[in-house]
Amino acid sequence: MQLIAASTGSYPRIGDSPESQRHRRAYAQRERGEITEAEWQAVEDAVTREVVAEQIAAGVELPTDGQVRWYDPISHLARGLTNVTIDGLLRYFDTNFYIRQPVVAGALARRGPILRREFEVAAAAAAPRPVKPVLTGPYSLAQGSILEGGHKSRRALAEAYAEVLAQEVSDLAGAGAELIQVDEPYLLQHPEDIDVVRQTLATLAAARGRARLACYTYFGDALPLYDDLQSLPVDVLGFDLTYSPKLGRRIAESGSAKVLGLGVIDGRNTKLETAAAVYPVLDQVLPRLGETAYLGPSCGLEFLPRARARAKLETLGRLARGYGRSAR
Amino acid sequence: MSRAKLTALGLDLPLLPTSTVGSFPKPEYLTEARAKVARNAITRAELDRLERQATEYWIRTQEELGVDVLVDGEQYRGDMVAYFAETLRGFARGGLVRSYGNRYYHKPVIVGEVAWPGPITVDWWRWTQSLTARPVKGMLTGPYTIMDWSFDDHYPDRKAACLALAREVRKELAALLEAGAKIVQIDEPALSVRPEELPFAVEAMHAVVDGLPAYYIVHACFGAFETIYPGLLDLPVDNLDLAISHSALDLLAMFEKDPFTKDLSLGVLDVHHHAVEASDEVRGRIRRGLGLLPAERIWVDPDCGLKTRTVEEARGKLTAMMTGVREVRASLP
Repeated sequence: MQLIAASTGSYPRIGDSPESQRHRRAYAQRERGEITEAEWQAVEDAVTREVVAEQIAAGVELPTDGQVRWYDPISHLARGLTNVTIDGLLRYFDTNFYIRQPVVAGALARRGPILRREFEVAAAAAAPRPVKPVLTGPYSLAQGSILEGGHKSRRALAEAYAEVLAQEVSDLAGAGAELIQVDEPYLLQHPEDIDVVRQTLATLAAARGRARLACYTYFGDALPLYDDLQSLPVDVLGFDLTYSPKLGRRIAESGSAKVLGLGVIDGRNTKLETAAAVYPVLDQVLPRLGETAYLGPSCGLEFLPRARARAKLETLGRLARGYGRSAR
Repeated sequence: MSRAKLTALGLDLPLLPTSTVGSFPKPEYLTEARAKVARNAITRAELDRLERQATEYWIRTQEELGVDVLVDGEQYRGDMVAYFAETLRGFARGGLVRSYGNRYYHKPVIVGEVAWPGPITVDWWRWTQSLTARPVKGMLTGPYTIMDWSFDDHYPDRKAACLALAREVRKELAALLEAGAKIVQIDEPALSVRPEELPFAVEAMHAVVDGLPAYYIVHACFGAFETIYPGLLDLPVDNLDLAISHSALDLLAMFEKDPFTKDLSLGVLDVHHHAVEASDEVRGRIRRGLGLLPAERIWVDPDCGLKTRTVEEARGKLTAMMTGVREVRASLP
């Protein structure tokens, strides 16, 4: 069994010390028109390289770019599309984080590649290790949007998002991404829409080339959807085991036809996990899985302070490395 | 039934009692003073003097507008959870966390057993009540919201943290009642974030209020209210302030299926928009409430605290609210 320590998505872009707040200062300078777009992009690139290096130093084998360019999980991709304007703040699930809602008024089309350059900067920083690009899925983008026109239903909007995200997936695969993660957190709030997710992910899967596709869910209990999720057209399923404590038993009972991402590190709370808490879950689950599993945080780590996010990843790396060596 | 409770507590309120949700905008001099204290440019005593000046302004404003049940306006508080977390034992200030865009805040962390250090809000309540003959609400943040808006390094799970906080919030409540408060609002805006946790949120509220005599209002804004209804009615309080007055929910259908058993505070002002409501908008929202419940069980207030508005906007909105309420009262049989 190969247990790979992997990040799940976002990573805090600033820390508490003044020297770790370059991104925050530059953001404010950009808002005041004091720096150019090129200077701003240079800061974003530097912070991306920094968070990639920090993940690797903490023991992560499959880092992400930390999504440091993302205003939020919903509006970042939508900003790059036609017929979309960005509206007011909306609380994001049960977090103290707020997203800006895209307002869709017509046909969606990319103005150009959105994530490819972000991925390339991170990939260069991580080389020779791989980097996992993460994008919010078409269903969740549709759920997080306000539909004003151009699409007859939210399902039709999800399908339209899928068409443009398929181009993103194709670009990312072409740029060398080996595993592309698609997040669909809203599905857990609306399990009745599993067929919309299945259909729209099929559109993405058709564009993945040689890359593998993962679907991650979090911020809810995936247990009632476990069988349905197994039918999605993806290679990897990611689960938030901190929110679904009974899911471990279910995986042990049913096994998994797909490679799993096991979110055993709580990305929402600062308390650090121990081997005594995590290893029994792995003992239960891993015998029913194949040759590989990903071990990671339950969700992106941007809900934590930077120092604690790093400590979480150090815990993750230590637990992943130590599991095989522990006398079990 | 709650009307009788108000009478038993010695409170004689008109039909459709008016109140506000807690916070008012801080005047510029106070915002500047808070920043200066952080830089040690003025003393804490000077800040306290300015906080009292601003509080008295808002008490006089509420009286002038004719509001029935007053609040102190929370001129001395920042964030509704951080205020208590900075005072209760067992908390530490956490690192910076992003809330949106380039906005960051210090999210509190529970690092040990939480403990009430002695009265937190009582001196403010007592002083504010001394300024007016009208009743002033005691204002607390509920245990579920303090738990949900904090990190927890200490307790084994969310329920344990919530119930521990409930025991300490109860001590603050008891001190408020001892000082003379008769109406207490407990803010629980996080109540609907995890519907499956409502049973222990209700258990925590029992731990806070059971056996302590007052008229209790729970304010629960931001909510996906429909996801915790009718379980919400299990909260052992008299009045639910639900920020639902202009929601798209079919409340009538919900209430027909599961009758609403509490008093209802109708949030008739949208605090998140600059525009001041017209009094006929307010009237329409109250009449919508009167289609759901009898007038004896309805209170009228804004849908949340007004601290994000300017002083002028807050005054304008409250004026519209009071005009609308007076017009509806005059039309009642």
